[in-house]
Amino acid sequence: MSADHVATLEAWTKQNPIHYTILSDFRRSMLPAYDALVTDDKSPIYRYAKRAYFIIDKTGTVRWTKVEANPLDLLDPAEVLKALKESGV
Amino acid sequence: MRRATMTLVTAALLLTGLVLTSPVAALDVGQKAPDFTLAAPGGKQVKLSDLTAKGPVVIFTFIQAFTGT
Repeated sequence: MSADHVATLEAWTKQNPIHYTILSDFRRSMLPAYDALVTDDKSPIYRYAKRAYFIIDKTGTVRWTKVEANPLDLLDPAEVLKALKESGV
Repeated sequence: MRRATMTLVTAALLLTGLVLTSPVAALDVGQKAPDFTLAAPGGKQVKLSDLTAKGPVVIFTFIQAFTGT
């Protein structure tokens, strides 16, 4: 999920086939509610998604979160899989 | 009448200021995930609660497509 327009994501997934659901929050409706929107006081158009991870169980309850302060910090996918197993969902 | 209007306007401005300056609360474990409906490629609309009805969901947000991020 990103704040890109859905047409951008459509073009991107054509070039990079992805086998999971990809979503556009172009209107920035979901990202602020998840504290996953990064802004810049100096630029009103700077409104991008943070790099963040959330595990939601089947009742819709948050079971694990990781919101990176530095967008260059990328979690090892194994860490997310470990959290998924440990969360017991 | 004018005084009452001014009081209302002042109260509204103060409330707006409070809302705009409040920090966004982080999403905590155990909290209900805010539901959302977002667009997916192919003209689809995807709702979180429809996904969780089928099983657990992992959400990953990233900065921008067509970049290294």
